[in-house]
Amino acid sequence: MVTLLRGTLRPLHVPLRAASQGTGLLYPEHIPTSLLQKVLLTAGSAGMALYNPYRHDMVAVLGETTGCRALRVLRDQMKRDSEGAQILQERPRISLSTLDLDKLRSLPEGSLAREYLRFLDVNRVSPDTRAPTRFVDDEELAYVIQRYREVHDMLHTLLGMPTNILGEIVVKWFEAVQTGLPMCILGALFGPIRLSAQHLQVLVSELVPWAVQNGRRAPCVLNLYYERRWEQPLKALREELGITDPPTHIKA
Amino acid sequence: MAAPRSCALWGSCGRGWSRVMRGCRLPGLRSSWPGSPLGARLLSQEKRATETHFGFETVSEEEKGGKVYQVFESVAKKYDVMNDMMSLGIHRLWKDLLLWRMHPFPGTQLLDVAGGTGDIAFRFLNYIQAQHRRKQKRQLRTQQNLSWEEIAQKYQNEEDSLNGSHVVVCDINKEMLKIGRKKACAQGYKTGLAWVLGDAEELPFDDDKFDVYTIAFGIRNVTHIDRALQEAHRVLKPGGRFLCLEFSQVTNPLVSRLYDLYSFQVIPVMGEVIAKDWKSYQYLVESIRQFPAQEEFKEMIEDAGFQKVTYESLTSGIVAIHSGFKL
Repeated sequence: MVTLLRGTLRPLHVPLRAASQGTGLLYPEHIPTSLLQKVLLTAGSAGMALYNPYRHDMVAVLGETTGCRALRVLRDQMKRDSEGAQILQERPRISLSTLDLDKLRSLPEGSLAREYLRFLDVNRVSPDTRAPTRFVDDEELAYVIQRYREVHDMLHTLLGMPTNILGEIVVKWFEAVQTGLPMCILGALFGPIRLSAQHLQVLVSELVPWAVQNGRRAPCVLNLYYERRWEQPLKALREELGITDPPTHIKA
Repeated sequence: MAAPRSCALWGSCGRGWSRVMRGCRLPGLRSSWPGSPLGARLLSQEKRATETHFGFETVSEEEKGGKVYQVFESVAKKYDVMNDMMSLGIHRLWKDLLLWRMHPFPGTQLLDVAGGTGDIAFRFLNYIQAQHRRKQKRQLRTQQNLSWEEIAQKYQNEEDSLNGSHVVVCDINKEMLKIGRKKACAQGYKTGLAWVLGDAEELPFDDDKFDVYTIAFGIRNVTHIDRALQEAHRVLKPGGRFLCLEFSQVTNPLVSRLYDLYSFQVIPVMGEVIAKDWKSYQYLVESIRQFPAQEEFKEMIEDAGFQKVTYESLTSGIVAIHSGFKL
């Protein structure tokens, strides 16, 4: 019992609170946490996310605390692919400050850029609402999960899913198959708890099989350098990835 | 000011890993880590003339006020919920005990500094009103053959229930005062209450104005505690009482370990999950460790001019009530 206590109390190779000096922090927003804290965070964030589905930050925290192994697998997958390796090296970020919106708007209709912008407009979301990574204790893996979050909107565009709860669950199923992140798996399994019976029916009978099929068929979506593919027509990109049209069209 | 206090803490605490942490934080001590505390104290006293602590961070004194303001601005809405969760409701007992020690009588002028959400002020008003009701009951029992109208009349004299008692809630943070005022409206406190925006180090009141000055869980956030104590001395009437309810040092080693474990492992997680704010609650638990122990704080109060200074440790020293008189 005492050794267990001491084990949890002993800080990691970085001190528990070194924010003041800036040393010991692996990246700007990093908050080093002990094993006990990670366990408590996992339980707390899972509970709070179920209790209040509007707490997207809790889902993000859950992803960070549970994603250790899956993130490593993802990172290795990215390293093996040429485009993925480039992403890891260059570390591009998708945010309103890094995107040149005018240039994107000038691209032809049907291109990835235009579809992505339309998705942002119709669903009234912005790429800047993604919280920065805080609880991942490896700097490269922190980038991988940050990239995964920023690519999430791209996935919505690729799959043609809106940002209502049904659309989010479908995307979560796709992501769960693709990334294997425990947070995606939990979200995919527990998200439907709050759905109506009718939506649940549609989800289980059509949308989930479609999402799983596409997820299995497509190569790792994190390996796509989206910033270089803005001009590519969305249809062509979907064909490249083997993503078919959704069986039923969900309204935003 | 900060250096001797933190060195004293470092010397007196027996908690292994928190000592490591504290050692890592203070730049003046790092180079002389294996050296004697005395050498380290001299070195850090020179270096950190206008520096102070913000939790385990070192910041300039000008910065600290702003940073503390931000912390409380961000936690204001969830302040009461978090207090209940973190202390498992025990903070209510502590505050009740503060009122029992105060034992105010009708007509008391109370100044509650850093009283933001009004916990002490409401308890004060409740106490006075409860006293008044007991007095009324006693009076009625001694009088006989009263008509129903006369009895109803006695109970209806609401305006007089406070009998001149008044509480001024003073806080430096607008958000906290806003929450306090909302609570007052919601809970139906209309009279005997005033809300003032002010700095504990420079109170906007005249000398010799109040009978009792309280500061509950606020003084450790003040940049210059000595100035706050001097202000307290100034605004109190002669014979007035200073009461401070604050986190203090735990004496029992087993309780201390569990308390540290709970503070550093559980509380920031709770802050993140419930209030979406890890860093404010990390600051909270660190600021508790930076606050002087019971005896040292007693000496600070005496330095400000108070007499008959005593303290009472509650819950194994997790909190302490310090009391002093202006004579």
